[in-house]
Amino acid sequence: MQESDPQVVARARDGDREAFRALVERHSRYLFGLAQRMTGSAQDAEDVVQETWLKAHKQLGRFEARADFRTWLHRICVNCSIDLIRARRHREDAHDPADLEEGPLSERGSEEQAAPDRLAASAQIQERVQEALTRLTSLERAAFTLRHVEGMSIDEVGVKLGLKTSATKHSIFRAVRKMRSALAPYVGASL
Amino acid sequence: MSHLTDEELILHYYGETARPDQPRVEDHLASCEACQAAHADLGRVLHLVETTPTPEAGPGFERDVWARLEPQLDANTGGLVHRSAQRVSGLVHHSAQRVGGWFAAPQWALAGGVAALLVVAFVAGRFSGGGPSAPAPTATVQVNNAPDRVLRAAVGDHLERSQMMLAELVNADPSHPEVLSGEQSRAADLVSANRLYRQSAEQSGDAAIADILEDLERVLLEIANAPADTTSGERADLQSRIKTDDLLFRVRVIASEMRQRTQTGREAGDRGKQRPPIS
Repeated sequence: MQESDPQVVARARDGDREAFRALVERHSRYLFGLAQRMTGSAQDAEDVVQETWLKAHKQLGRFEARADFRTWLHRICVNCSIDLIRARRHREDAHDPADLEEGPLSERGSEEQAAPDRLAASAQIQERVQEALTRLTSLERAAFTLRHVEGMSIDEVGVKLGLKTSATKHSIFRAVRKMRSALAPYVGASL
Repeated sequence: MSHLTDEELILHYYGETARPDQPRVEDHLASCEACQAAHADLGRVLHLVETTPTPEAGPGFERDVWARLEPQLDANTGGLVHRSAQRVSGLVHHSAQRVGGWFAAPQWALAGGVAALLVVAFVAGRFSGGGPSAPAPTATVQVNNAPDRVLRAAVGDHLERSQMMLAELVNADPSHPEVLSGEQSRAADLVSANRLYRQSAEQSGDAAIADILEDLERVLLEIANAPADTTSGERADLQSRIKTDDLLFRVRVIASEMRQRTQTGREAGDRGKQRPPIS
């Protein structure tokens, strides 16, 4: 039977290298998914996972035994992703002017209608979602992921990313518009 | 009747409509079919993003993570001497791999030599009592100095190369796209080395060096990852940030300090070697 996380963590905290390895094997895939969503790049996600484990290893002594280990790792991983994104922030602040020229949602025509056979193709949808995410700048993706997936408030996202509230909102708006324009055909939306 | 804007619909979806706007937005949504449809469409799109799984890591990902991680864990937990040995060996190995050819052999030899010296120093330290008041044998002092000096020299060399690149970048004409593109592979090489030096400095508690390396890493990353279509404005902005942050100046100062320290260490080492044995 597989040992529970708290048991393995306890051994890892005592310096058991194999226990730490077991944690790496147990949680790395999850961290990769999270980092990939945050950074939008498999290569960056690998670096983030690496950095997450280094930090976790360093801070393991401070980990509260009663807390959930994966939640703790999740937080470290989000922070590592943000560090990476903030380091790149200046080069990616550019926005897509065409995107901002779109009119209000309710007044838009249905230029991209969904083909019914495509609606069933979930793999294709997944691919399309990923493709749409890669069209976001690092900041847009981070702001969107923190708001939409992590459930942080816009103010919290701003603090995390070192942005003013208005800039945070605009990053989220741009991200949502890009996602909507890419994915509307797949949900039968008349946008 | 004017419809709700994109922004209003998005904020409403996330429950972040400003309090004073709430009654107006709610009332409009309740009575406007077009906005209700737009709101529902938005919800469906965002739900799709939420429920679509992210791409999986490749097979054997965990094994790869561990293979990369394990050597660094030693650096995380080991003593300073052990950590320095790893960093120096790692860096020399890294440089040797990049340079290759005839240059690789002496670099490898240096790495092995440094590691061997460190082991001797470590063992000698353990058996000599290790306390600060315990008189250490001259030979131990010498071998202890060696890795430190090599590490300092390596960091100094790295800073020299970085400052040369930054100086070229800052003084170049930003209207030429190759200002950045020409430096990207050089910056990428420097980032890898910089990361290791920074971690080493952090672990050995050398805050000044760690700080400068952290600032340097940000700029190097920015250069290395700059997209092909940067505008001249963006390039000028990067130049101005390097100047405003005094990064170039700080790198220059620390590089010069490292050079001096290395030189002093070398001279002290030479004097130690010339000292006649105590009988």
